[in-house]
Amino acid sequence: MATKTAQNGKEDLDIKIRSRKVNVYYGDTHAIKDVDIDIEANTVTAFIGPSGCGKSTFLRCLNRMNDTIDVARVTGEILLDEHDIYARDVDPVQLRAQVGMVFQKPNPFPKSIYDNIAYGPRIHGLVANKSELDEIVESCLRRAALWDEVKDRLDEPGTSLSGGQQQRLCIGRAIATAPHVLLMDEPCSALDPIATAQIEELIDELRQDYSVVIVTHSMQQAGRVSQKTAFFHLGNLVEAGSTEKIFTSPEDERTQNYITGRIG
Amino acid sequence: MAAIAGFTPYLVMLLGVVFFFIAKGRAVSTVDGKLSALHSRPSFHGLLSLLWVFLVGLILYFVILIVGRAAIDASLLSEIAIVDPSLRDIEMDLALSDAKSIAEGNVASRTDELREAIADRFANLTNLHRLALFFVPLLAAAGVGLWQLFKVTPEWRARNRAETILRGILFTCAAIAILTTIGIVLSLIFETLLFFNNMDWRIDKFLFGTNWTPLAGVSDGKIDPERVGAVPLFVGTLLITLIAMLVAVPIGLFAAIYLSDFASPQFRAWAKPMLEILAGIPTVVYGFFAAVTMAPFIRDLGESFGLSVASESALAAGVVMGIMIIPFISSLSDDVINAVPQSLRDGSYGLGATRAETIRQVVLPAALPGIVSAVLLGISRAVGETMIVVMAAGQGANLTVNPLEAVTTVTVQIVMLITGDTEAATAAGPAFTLGFTLFCVTLGLNIFALRTVRKYRELYD
Amino acid sequence: MVDLTELSAKHTSAEAASRVRKRNASQVRLKLTGLFAIGLAGLALVALLWTVVGSAMGTVTEHYVTISVPVPAEDFNPEGGELDSVTVGRAAQAAVRDRMRTIFDFADTRAEQRELADIVSSGAAFELADTILENPELVGQDVEFSLVASDVADLYYKGFYGRLTDVPTSTSVRVEIAEDSDEASIFLQQNVFREVVDAVKIELQRRADRARDAAQLQDNGVRAFERRLETASNEEERAEFQTEITSRTTERDRLIGIAEDLENQVQTAGTSDTLDNRMPSVLLKAGGGWIKLTQIQQQTAQGTVIEPLETAEFQAGEWQMLVNTTPEVSRKVSDFQTVILEDLADMDTVTSQFNWRFLSAGDSREPELAGIWGAAVGSFWTMIVTFLLAFPIGSLAAMYLEEFAPKNAITDFVEVNINNLAAVPSIVFGLLGLAVILPLMNALGNDDFRSAPLIGGTVLALMTLPTIIIASRAAIRAVPPSIRDAALGVGASKLQTSFHHVLPLAMPGILTGTIIGMAQALGETAPLLMIGMVAFIVDIPQGVTDSASVIPVQIFRWSDLPERAFSSRTSAAICVLLIFLVIMNALAVFLRKRFERRW
Repeated sequence: MATKTAQNGKEDLDIKIRSRKVNVYYGDTHAIKDVDIDIEANTVTAFIGPSGCGKSTFLRCLNRMNDTIDVARVTGEILLDEHDIYARDVDPVQLRAQVGMVFQKPNPFPKSIYDNIAYGPRIHGLVANKSELDEIVESCLRRAALWDEVKDRLDEPGTSLSGGQQQRLCIGRAIATAPHVLLMDEPCSALDPIATAQIEELIDELRQDYSVVIVTHSMQQAGRVSQKTAFFHLGNLVEAGSTEKIFTSPEDERTQNYITGRIG
Repeated sequence: MAAIAGFTPYLVMLLGVVFFFIAKGRAVSTVDGKLSALHSRPSFHGLLSLLWVFLVGLILYFVILIVGRAAIDASLLSEIAIVDPSLRDIEMDLALSDAKSIAEGNVASRTDELREAIADRFANLTNLHRLALFFVPLLAAAGVGLWQLFKVTPEWRARNRAETILRGILFTCAAIAILTTIGIVLSLIFETLLFFNNMDWRIDKFLFGTNWTPLAGVSDGKIDPERVGAVPLFVGTLLITLIAMLVAVPIGLFAAIYLSDFASPQFRAWAKPMLEILAGIPTVVYGFFAAVTMAPFIRDLGESFGLSVASESALAAGVVMGIMIIPFISSLSDDVINAVPQSLRDGSYGLGATRAETIRQVVLPAALPGIVSAVLLGISRAVGETMIVVMAAGQGANLTVNPLEAVTTVTVQIVMLITGDTEAATAAGPAFTLGFTLFCVTLGLNIFALRTVRKYRELYD
Repeated sequence: MVDLTELSAKHTSAEAASRVRKRNASQVRLKLTGLFAIGLAGLALVALLWTVVGSAMGTVTEHYVTISVPVPAEDFNPEGGELDSVTVGRAAQAAVRDRMRTIFDFADTRAEQRELADIVSSGAAFELADTILENPELVGQDVEFSLVASDVADLYYKGFYGRLTDVPTSTSVRVEIAEDSDEASIFLQQNVFREVVDAVKIELQRRADRARDAAQLQDNGVRAFERRLETASNEEERAEFQTEITSRTTERDRLIGIAEDLENQVQTAGTSDTLDNRMPSVLLKAGGGWIKLTQIQQQTAQGTVIEPLETAEFQAGEWQMLVNTTPEVSRKVSDFQTVILEDLADMDTVTSQFNWRFLSAGDSREPELAGIWGAAVGSFWTMIVTFLLAFPIGSLAAMYLEEFAPKNAITDFVEVNINNLAAVPSIVFGLLGLAVILPLMNALGNDDFRSAPLIGGTVLALMTLPTIIIASRAAIRAVPPSIRDAALGVGASKLQTSFHHVLPLAMPGILTGTIIGMAQALGETAPLLMIGMVAFIVDIPQGVTDSASVIPVQIFRWSDLPERAFSSRTSAAICVLLIFLVIMNALAVFLRKRFERRW
């Protein structure tokens, strides 16, 4: 697969994140074993696998969220735009501004809807004045397909929204930080089917501007939203490739078993 | 005869044990040893008898003890009133206590015909009382025990009945908390109403007056409303509380933030016990520290800046009280900060926020209700704290907000009034009124704080 | 729509990097503030313990003066036969006093004799009397007896009143004693007073500085009031400020005058200096006598004889010059007493022992005789009452609320009630004790139980009840429902289930809560003050109805007494209290760790 330079971010099939020989240990537990994977720009990549297979753990390595856990240790190399994100001079704070994250359970801050979206731009100093901020808030809420529902009550607390709205708010909040990559850790697992459909639609639109990595336990969802799929099993990356290929003609037997529902 | 009445409770207990075995034996004999034919096991039959004997005997004993004494006093007082209607209440009481002294062979303040006659009556009544104390509970207990014996049949549901009684005893234990509250409220309210009545219901003068010399204005049971203005006490209490909270809230809160979000497990392992030690030190020790170390230190420090500082300055008492409250604030805040879900923190970190930003903008706002209630509980504790201020704050009611001067507090005044040389009846009024005020304020703070914290828990549980 | 991709370029800009640096710096600041807060709390704890332990050191040992006291039969047993305690007591007082007067026969004025009597404790004679009553065969002999030193003597030997330091000399001295008075003149070959003179100069200068500082304070005040005078709104205020200014100006000028005088003395020092009682004491020891210097010049000095000596010339090494830099006014031991105490030490009669008395005696008005044992026993009885009431009632109440109470408004009310009761100030419980429990118990017992552990223990039990109930309920709740289901399933009644299965499993938790509640009660003072448990009680209480004191109240009472030895004993009592609390809490932690179960 051809690799182009980082400046050329708009090109399709451009490698955004490249991981080599990544291992993660929680204390004595070896959670991730020698994972090599390339994540392309403007693509939705899905991580699938049975529970406890390490897909979420690996996702959390991509923006160094594991740093917040005292006992977690990461070895190997993860390159974002060809820069090692575990290098000494990389500040996780700066990294996470470029690699945003949306979590399993909607977690709006106990602030107003407006302040939830404005949180990222404010802490990262992305805006110079209030009107710019207003613009960003509106634009992100629109992108998160939430604007029409909340435009009259931006002052209400984010916790007052329904579950699906909360999750879209969290996605809007992540977008507002203006990341290059968006990580999503089972973003729909706490939502009902209608809200799930809305979010999936949203993910598909986000592909225009971001490279999206989504962890999901639902193969149907992976099939619906992703172009690439990676299958994890017991901390190993078993197989990665285009979604179509993984679902129709997997190479590994384990993948086959998982897809057909014999393990899981 | 005098001595046996004291043995009644023990005899009742002995009787209970005796009936336990009799009833148990009887239960066995009614079914000729075939225990499976019994509804309740024999020991439950015994237990039921024992409980009945205990309850009837002991309750009767204490009722007769108290009611009997009161009845004797009342009847003797009425007899004194008939013999000599000119006596005032206090003289009648004196005559009665003299009569008791004569009857018991002690030295009375005065002996006269009336007293001797009453002494005779007292001796007779007391003997009667003692006889009643001995025979009535024992006979009644024995009677009830026999009654229970007749009930022992194979079908008799002794276990259910015994358990009902035991459950009643358990309920009584739980009700003691209520009784305590009722006791507190009634005793405080009674004296408070009496006090307000003696000052012609000028409650406004108590709440808003600025001159506090409550013992100076007493004449003939009446209290001068101009001299019981408690504002200097309230201001003093608030001043010391404010200083204490200025010390305790920042230190406690920052300590809690550090312990919950920054500290390594090893650091926590010794820092938390250290704060717990601070919490376990008795207040009298803090009082000693305030009076012996902190007050002179602050005075010297102030003087080196050219300030004149009272040796019982509000600052010294307030700072030490603040130290006492630090662990209180820090452990409560630590709890609520830890209760903020990790998902909120993750959300913030995931957006590229630093720990400090996460704490300031996400964790603290989320924990705010809990922190507010911790501060309120801290205030309630500071307001009710006694020993530190008794040992290190002033005693004169000085209306000032200057922390370098000596001020007095509500609790100090209560202690001074109650432990002072003044006659108890005079001092009780203002002291209990202050106590009632204190009780209301702390109760209000507690209820409000507990409600806030409960709502907060519901939010994240 | 805003083009976010444009914005995202900002993340990698130099501006963002510097912003991140600032943000991280602010994080470090927050972290340091937190650490600083914990440091302050730790500092407070260390300062508190340091003060208490440091001050308690003065109580670790006590001093005894061992001298032989004659016990003549004609005084101690004039009638013959059985010894009479009153006679022996009185005779022992006289014997100790007379013996001291014989040893120190130069104490001839009333004041000196009074000071002499202050050397050994007034309790020493009582102990002598007790010894003789126990060993009647001692009558008629000279008894070698260890007399307890008085509090001031004890503190002197421990160095609390400064120490006598030897000024090294290598010259001879001639001492001339006046025929008809206590005056002495001292003549030296060399100027060995120089060091003393220097010390005196330093002291004078220090006093001058202190006067200047005080004057400066007054001056600040004058200026402050002058400013306020300018802005004063009415006549009354103006007059008030004017008087303040006048009085402060007078005071300032007086202080400046003093400072100037003192500075003059420093300038001219060395020619002739008067040593008053605000100056270091200079004592001369020679030929078995002591002279206190009152005036020193370069090579001559005048003084007062304390212990007599003859006019003579002393070679180097035959005499000593001793200085106590703590001035006589700021110590309780006069120079006369210093001489007595030094003589006693020279006679090898003074010994120091571990202060068992403090741990075994009851209260006393004399600090050297006062001990903590009476209060400790009082605390013990009080805690027994508290435990016997609070533990069963608390655990049964918790049992009822957790296992039996129907979920209704009454139960809710009880629960709210208990939570609020836990936060009611302890002094309010004291008022309850005063108004209800004391009269009730007095009526039940037909006696006055003020000061009895029975009342104190009951009040403290009510106070700790909420703590115990709350902890017990948590412990009972922690027992998993499966245990109850198992017991109910084999046909046990609800009550049997609770008492046979739940209660034993919850017991460690209940006991832990009880111990913590008791530790709280052990340190509590205010409610006991309310019910009048503040009496001065010498005897060790024998039961729950005897008058008693408790340790915290003892601390409160002693802390109020002016004697320095009492302040040390207060600290020692605090240490005893803290040790008990540490033991109780350690026990609670042990119980929790030992029986902790994760279900």
